[in-house]
Amino acid sequence: MKRAKGLSLLLAGILLAGGCTSNDTASKPAEKEKDPNKKYTVTAIDFRFGDPPPKDGAGLKMINEKFNVDYQVQFVPQADYQEKLSAVVASGDVPDMVGFEPVDTRYAKWAGQGAFLPLDDYIGKYETLKNVPDHIWESMKVNGKIYGIPTYYPEADLTPIIRKDWLDKLGLEMPKNYEELKEVALAFTKKDPDGNGKNDTYGFAMGEKINPDFDMGAYWNAESWLHKDENGNYIPGMISDARKETIQFFADLYKEKAITQDYAVLTWPDTNKEFFSGKAGIFVGAPRGMSEAYYAGLLELQPNAEFAPLYPFADPDGNTGYTATSGYGGITAISADLAKDPGKIEKILEMMEFGRTFYPREDRTPDNKEFDWWWGNEGKGYTMQDGTAVLDPNFATEGKTPSTYYVDNAMWPPNEDVNEFYKDYKNEKVSSLAKELEEMHKSTKHYMNPVNGLVSETAQQKKEEFDQFLFDEQAKMIAGQRPVSDWDKMVEEYLNMGGQKMIEEYNSQIKDEEHWK
Amino acid sequence: MHHRSVPDRILEGFNMLALLLIGFVMIFPFLYIFTVSFSSLSDFLNNDFLLWPKQWVTDAYEYILSSNNFLRSLGVTVFITVAGTIVNLFFTATMAYALARPIAGQRFFILFVLFTILFSAGMIPTYLVVKATGLLNSIWSLIIPVAISPFYLIVMRQFFLNIPEELHDAALIDGANEGQVFWKIVLPLSKPALAAFGLFYAVMHWNNYFTGILYLNDPSLWPIQVVLRQIVVINEPNSALGSTAAMLESPPPPETIQMAAILLATLPILLVYPFLQKHFAKGVMLGSVKG
Repeated sequence: MKRAKGLSLLLAGILLAGGCTSNDTASKPAEKEKDPNKKYTVTAIDFRFGDPPPKDGAGLKMINEKFNVDYQVQFVPQADYQEKLSAVVASGDVPDMVGFEPVDTRYAKWAGQGAFLPLDDYIGKYETLKNVPDHIWESMKVNGKIYGIPTYYPEADLTPIIRKDWLDKLGLEMPKNYEELKEVALAFTKKDPDGNGKNDTYGFAMGEKINPDFDMGAYWNAESWLHKDENGNYIPGMISDARKETIQFFADLYKEKAITQDYAVLTWPDTNKEFFSGKAGIFVGAPRGMSEAYYAGLLELQPNAEFAPLYPFADPDGNTGYTATSGYGGITAISADLAKDPGKIEKILEMMEFGRTFYPREDRTPDNKEFDWWWGNEGKGYTMQDGTAVLDPNFATEGKTPSTYYVDNAMWPPNEDVNEFYKDYKNEKVSSLAKELEEMHKSTKHYMNPVNGLVSETAQQKKEEFDQFLFDEQAKMIAGQRPVSDWDKMVEEYLNMGGQKMIEEYNSQIKDEEHWK
Repeated sequence: MHHRSVPDRILEGFNMLALLLIGFVMIFPFLYIFTVSFSSLSDFLNNDFLLWPKQWVTDAYEYILSSNNFLRSLGVTVFITVAGTIVNLFFTATMAYALARPIAGQRFFILFVLFTILFSAGMIPTYLVVKATGLLNSIWSLIIPVAISPFYLIVMRQFFLNIPEELHDAALIDGANEGQVFWKIVLPLSKPALAAFGLFYAVMHWNNYFTGILYLNDPSLWPIQVVLRQIVVINEPNSALGSTAAMLESPPPPETIQMAAILLATLPILLVYPFLQKHFAKGVMLGSVKG
């Protein structure tokens, strides 16, 4: 923490100095004539979850040829991105394009200090930028101006799924409220749903930090700011009465051994193991990004396994629906230094536009020249299997496709319905689960978290500490080490730690509008 | 062998048992990693407690070795470890020896070294130095900035101080110069210390990952620990969206792959241990006692 503080001070100084000079140049109208044949050097930095491509892959050469640029991009493993980016920026070389994680508060901070270029004037000029919904552009605004381009991320996220075959075996209906869900979880624990004659199954697969959330709708979600306190201020779900209900619910089930008993020390891969070994009946899934290897492992053990999404419960407010994600998976900002070089800005935006273009499923074939290029040409970057383009397994590690070199490489669809992520899965059961999940998300409402894109100084400094405190206390309550009746005391403590200040900071910015969509 | 009394034997038996137990506790994690890495995913999922593969499956290894990433970064780490350790030992020993001789300003230099133990510059200033010296994106950035560990330097100096002054004098009388004394007399006498610190340095280089990410932009230069971490500990769940994205963008690789990666990345340095172990106690102890 200490280091981070000193670091940000230093950064602030450097950025302020940098910001001044770039303002100077911006004030003189940059009237360099634009030469369409000029070869630009474009530098970029971004984070990656998986393997980053090498410095000299075929995909990179394709980009350089197509756009007549010298594109120098570096990808940093996501876990270390924060520190590396700080060092790079502090060293004075802000790359032309800088990628941010959606939760990275430095985006707003540095933009406010003048490190990035305002992009408002460009947005109307590019088709794919017009696809971005207004509320997401709102999230990109700092002091009223847009400094970043969001990367597409589906609004449907991880939501609860259930073992359908177990329900059928025990003759149970899909639960419609927490009472029924409790019955189901208890039945999974006590009535031997896998029929192996052993008492080796249970309800919820859960891990550290009470993860997954297992909210059955935004009303019970820990992260949604949906509830209000007596002063009419929005408060985080973590301290709401609805959360108290779910913690009580989990505490009851924990006593009956219907929840992973050592959840407090289990990591995400551990939790996956609990579900995919066929021990637990309730877990989470998403239309995009589920691991087929795990499902295949489970289906080998229990070939009759069936999966189905759990639909959100009707909440006491009369709404039904899960919380939507922020709707973007990253932010790309452009260095303020480029203000003096409009030709380069246009080149960068032209490159970005290409990567953001959406192709419907039926157009993802070699016949589509753009798509074929984007995925590194058929036979090199991808192959056609049963009419579907499938990326080469080493496309990223060997840098075979231009797409893998893009900071923003997610197509932005005109609407959520056209994604059809389920077609990405080869396994039939995984695919049909994904399809049902997509349909469920299509047919239910979503709550747009009103704090998305807002900046609170206190949250920047202390949110992790706050969450840790609440998770710890709530985990104790579930395990019966602290009575749930201590809830108000816990909330009080949280508010005094600085939670109250954070709530006030957010509420001064939250717009009172309809958040259900 | 004289006859031992019954209580002696009981004690000995008890000792043996206790040592066996401790030994097993030490070996068990490795055995488990080994077993899981050679099991199929469904065998792993089905069994809470695997001690030996049910059937030998090499899928995980095939997966890891199918891209040349893993082997290349293993090669990078081997290079950093070997070259780095040589650089470390050379600079640490020469400076330690110089500071062990009665030279002018000795006290000043020793305080200078001690200062760096107490106050380190931090990440960004160090990054700026690496950048200014042109080491950025060069494999030497993982070697040069950590060429001397001040702590090992001090201990090694202490070790050199223990070598009798008479040896030095005798060599000078026989016509050797300072360099020859160091190379031909002091270093051969210091093998235990060199072996011990060499191992410490080697392990430091082997385990390095963060400076690899910080200073190297080209993924093909990344050491094995970066790749290993990508495979093993990537998905830390958190309630924030960023981490939900992490879960989805890159689902956890099956444990069999994780375990195979751990084994492959640990084995080489593990194999070095037994050969240096005998020097260990001697090397460190000698340096720590002032004669």
